[in-house]
Amino acid sequence: MFGLHPVAFWIAAGIAATLAITPLIFLLLGKAGKLTPALSTDLWTRYKSWLVLAPLMVGPLLAGRLPAILGVGVLSLACYREFARATGMFRYRAISAVVALGILLLTFAAADQWYGFFVALSSLTISLLVIIALFADQPKGYIQRVALGIFAFSLFGVCLGHFGYFANDKAGQAFLVAILLCVELNDVFAYCTGKLFGRRKLAPQTSPNKTIGGAIGAAILTTALFASLVHAIVRGSVLDQPVHLIVLGLLLSLTGQWGDLVMSSIKRDLGVKDLGVTIPGHGGLLDRFDSLIFVGPAMFHYVNYFLGLGLDQPVRGITGH
Amino acid sequence: MEDWQYKPAGDLGLKPEESLRSLRREAGLAATITQGAWRLAVRAYLRGYHRLRVEGTEHLPARPSFVMVANHTSHLDAITLAAALPWTLRRYAFPIAAGDVFFETPAVALFSAMMLNALPMWRKSCGPHAMQQLRERLISEPTIYVLFPEGTRSRDGNLGKFKPGLGMIVAGSEVPVVPCYLHGAHAACPANRKLPLPLPLHLRIGAPLQFSAMKNERAGWQEIAAQLEAAVTALRNTAASSGSAQS
Repeated sequence: MFGLHPVAFWIAAGIAATLAITPLIFLLLGKAGKLTPALSTDLWTRYKSWLVLAPLMVGPLLAGRLPAILGVGVLSLACYREFARATGMFRYRAISAVVALGILLLTFAAADQWYGFFVALSSLTISLLVIIALFADQPKGYIQRVALGIFAFSLFGVCLGHFGYFANDKAGQAFLVAILLCVELNDVFAYCTGKLFGRRKLAPQTSPNKTIGGAIGAAILTTALFASLVHAIVRGSVLDQPVHLIVLGLLLSLTGQWGDLVMSSIKRDLGVKDLGVTIPGHGGLLDRFDSLIFVGPAMFHYVNYFLGLGLDQPVRGITGH
Repeated sequence: MEDWQYKPAGDLGLKPEESLRSLRREAGLAATITQGAWRLAVRAYLRGYHRLRVEGTEHLPARPSFVMVANHTSHLDAITLAAALPWTLRRYAFPIAAGDVFFETPAVALFSAMMLNALPMWRKSCGPHAMQQLRERLISEPTIYVLFPEGTRSRDGNLGKFKPGLGMIVAGSEVPVVPCYLHGAHAACPANRKLPLPLPLHLRIGAPLQFSAMKNERAGWQEIAAQLEAAVTALRNTAASSGSAQS
């Protein structure tokens, strides 16, 4: 439909419809007196942010393979920037430059469909980070500087980069849009079911607002939603069996929630509330995209193992001939 | 084993437009690259178009922090002083620029921050708070301020009176202040000209002064301003007597 994967099209249409009717719901709730002024302002701020964010997130995925890969590259760089400024590692310019270079090369490897290089970049960039830090000749704090560089590159470069590579697959577009939708809704489900059923805290030191009830509720709802979407995408293939669909849904929900907790841990350790102010009502980019970090590799490799993403056939659209 | 130390960016948590105007702004990778490219272009321009000559570079301290002060007649002044620094020091240089000119609109503020690495001084409402922030940064981090104590560009090219505000930044600290005199900028690009003329520039750098013994209060600030004004005047006079300048 319009050159889009049918599942991607219907999800995008659903998101557009939801964004279109949300103001009506707010107005009705407001009329019914269910919203305090503070809550109402907060909801509207978040809504306006989503109005910008949703097209920015889904747009590149719908626009095709290269825009999706470039979009992921830009997201990786922006997330790294936020992390570097919050930890102070941006002051180590050589390390910072190598992380940025690694992210650019990962983006290139995905665009080129050169999986060998994409994999090689993990060990090569990490080696370069460890080595480049020698040249400052300042052993004091060496481990911290290098470790922060490797940590950042692994999370925002390698893990997020899997979304870029995923876009090369024929069904990649549909998978990516479905993943994005389910990861975002995973947060919403956890919040709502937590409000309804949550009593016991999940990790009170790390993130005081999360409850076990919310985590389980999100796992059930997200699994159901993602399983049905994947069923529509991979209809009739090896993956189209209840056990695979449920495992994929659970993996997505759990890795999503863990990503959230990872970023909470990082923020607690740094002693900052938000990592940035990029998105009004949400905080920094990382506060919005934290849940995606581990979902990418989990989905990518699961699908590749059982269904195959054509990684064993080198394509190399740019460096080949 | 010691705990890890995290020191977030000084402007962390500020909105983009606030961050550009913040006195605690720190350059990241993108700003480092644009500023480096800008400095290369500026040096080529000053050498080629204005045949810039610099004398007295041996007076520059080998390491930050320090302050460079000079006469002010032209928009060329700040970029010329920053360009006179050796390449190891250039990235520490922050021209202190008029907020109402260089940070008023977002586009100009973006240029001032990403290219010039300038920090804003709001002339109408600059309270002791801003001075205190500048002072703290100068003392706690490797920083080089390029500033013009006259407070505005001289319209006739003559040296105006130095304002005591600068004293608040350095009084009682070990930070050296390097007096400079730039000749030719008024002829090349005075305040009423948009595009500079291809006239020569001659920068003379004097021996640094220190004000660690000076009290951080009004009398001390005025004394610092007077001493620096005298030092810059002396540089002007030597520049004139050596016959190098035709302003």
